[in-house]
Amino acid sequence: MSIYTLGIDVGSTASKCVILKNGKDIISKSLIDVGAGTSGPARAIEDVLTSCGLTHEDMDFTLATGYGRNSLDGIAHAQMSELSCHARGATFLFPDVHTVIDIGGQDVKCMHIENGALVNFQMNDKCAAGTGRFLDVMARVLEVKVSELGDLAAKSTKRIAISSTCTVFAESEVISQLAQATDKCDIINGIHHSVANRVVGLVNRIGVQDRVVMTGGVAQNKGIVESLEEGLGHIVYTSPLTQYVGALGAALFAYQKALKAQQ
Amino acid sequence: MSLEARFQEFKAAAYAPKKLLNEYKAAGKKVIGVLPYYAPEELVYAAGMVPMGIWGSNNKTIARAKEYCATFYCTIAQLALEMMLDGTMDQLDGVITPTICDTLRPMSQNFRVSMAKLQKMPTIFLAHPQYRRPAFGLQFTVDQYTNVRNELDKIAGHKMTDEDIRAAIKVYNKFRQARREFVKLAGEHPEAVSAVNRSAVLKAGYFMEKPAYTEKLNELNAELAALPASNWNGVKIVTSGIICDNPVLLKIFDDNNVAIATDDVAHESRTIRVDADEEGDPMMALAKQFANEDYDVLLYDEASNQNRRGEFVANLVKESGAKGLVLFMQQFCDPEEMEYPYLKKALDGAGIPHIKLGIDQQMRDFGQAATAIQAFADVLSM
Repeated sequence: MSIYTLGIDVGSTASKCVILKNGKDIISKSLIDVGAGTSGPARAIEDVLTSCGLTHEDMDFTLATGYGRNSLDGIAHAQMSELSCHARGATFLFPDVHTVIDIGGQDVKCMHIENGALVNFQMNDKCAAGTGRFLDVMARVLEVKVSELGDLAAKSTKRIAISSTCTVFAESEVISQLAQATDKCDIINGIHHSVANRVVGLVNRIGVQDRVVMTGGVAQNKGIVESLEEGLGHIVYTSPLTQYVGALGAALFAYQKALKAQQ
Repeated sequence: MSLEARFQEFKAAAYAPKKLLNEYKAAGKKVIGVLPYYAPEELVYAAGMVPMGIWGSNNKTIARAKEYCATFYCTIAQLALEMMLDGTMDQLDGVITPTICDTLRPMSQNFRVSMAKLQKMPTIFLAHPQYRRPAFGLQFTVDQYTNVRNELDKIAGHKMTDEDIRAAIKVYNKFRQARREFVKLAGEHPEAVSAVNRSAVLKAGYFMEKPAYTEKLNELNAELAALPASNWNGVKIVTSGIICDNPVLLKIFDDNNVAIATDDVAHESRTIRVDADEEGDPMMALAKQFANEDYDVLLYDEASNQNRRGEFVANLVKESGAKGLVLFMQQFCDPEEMEYPYLKKALDGAGIPHIKLGIDQQMRDFGQAATAIQAFADVLSM
């Protein structure tokens, strides 16, 4: 008899779900672009179940993670931190991973993995610089979509230094560059390097070891990935499932707990 | 009385010091505010007045204090001033302002100027020596403490005697011993003492009258000592930093089955490690007590190149049976930030995992800290 487990990642800016069959086959996934405190989690859960024709009662174990992991009373059987879940999900996708970088909506997490287990991690301080929120703010100032940042940065011909470490002052710097008619693509490239510099400093605190994997939605921005590769001097791998890594990890832990419950 | 009822008594004092202040004043007592830290509170007690510690607040935001403070001053100091400006502390009869760190040093003048300008209360300046152990350092401390003594005499309206101070030292030694014993028992019995309750018990000691507090704490200690051996199966850690008394933050530890084995926190154990001599010259006894303090970020260490403090903290973790350390980094505490690389080096060298959580007293959302603490518990459980 098959075991179905549901992993729900309620982030600060998006809600993601993954359903696993027997702890190895992803049979359904969903993503809603709003996170904790919104209708996002409920809609993501409904979507993930509908698309595979299962109900919540069919789930042997449901595990929540992410910033809003404690908000799913009555739905999730347990909750775990997104650090543990990202580490687990990344190991599932890249079994030889040692370093995981997750840039989320409001924080940056760097994890060191040994034998598939999280052994050390670093998170950003109480500051939005280097986070997904930083990119959101900058995209708004530049009047472009966040999803366009990577392609626009690829057209850059000149490096612009965005030196402020504070999001508010960096925004002023960007406005100043725009006032000087600097090419938007160059500014975006500079922003990516600014984010990468913050993240590289954080990763170096735990030590970089191949294979390096980036998870989370920001990993879809190839400009950030390339800037990170340049800063770290290591290849940074991403997956088409990058936004689902936390939910995947949660579903994997859920499978472990479902097995334990059956024993 | 149940353990929970005992904890409730300490919580009542820890979370509502203003109520206690009102009661002291209604009873005709004089009350002296004591800022952090290493102030000779014994002198306040010896003068027949009630000392109340002022370590900021978890319930206020900085508004009025902005007129006086640089933005990078820690919230402990700024919120202390805030409470002295907004009327919370108006009933105090005076305040002692130690200058033990780079923020408290200039802040002592902010307190002095603001309290004089608003005609609220006298401030008593206190400078500790950098070299606290040589004869000249001891004499410096005695001179400073004598100044504090004289100023307290003025507020009390009578002169304290050496015998009064010796009696106060005995009261405070018992107070410290009871607190040390509680820290030990709380570490041994996390099934009975939550992180929230542990903090409340220790925090209450800054507000309650010392003999009554010590008596209550000894009763609690006796009950804890009589408990059967703990069957607790969570993760034990050691805490470090200047202060971590926010119950919302500490509840995250309890929720994740993380217990505090012991601490290297200034607000908790750093200030109760050393007792004072109960015989001889009491002023010198207090000076020697300060001289004998050690392994503190804020104290000068002539052998700092040996990283003695880092080694001390690493040993604290090992000897307590904890698996890791959680450092509460008060923003923006220069001494703690400056020391961190050395502490990290010692912990890494001893194979002790740790996390550093940036905190301040105006924080109301601990989502990021919750993630880090939960993940740290996962790492330590492996």
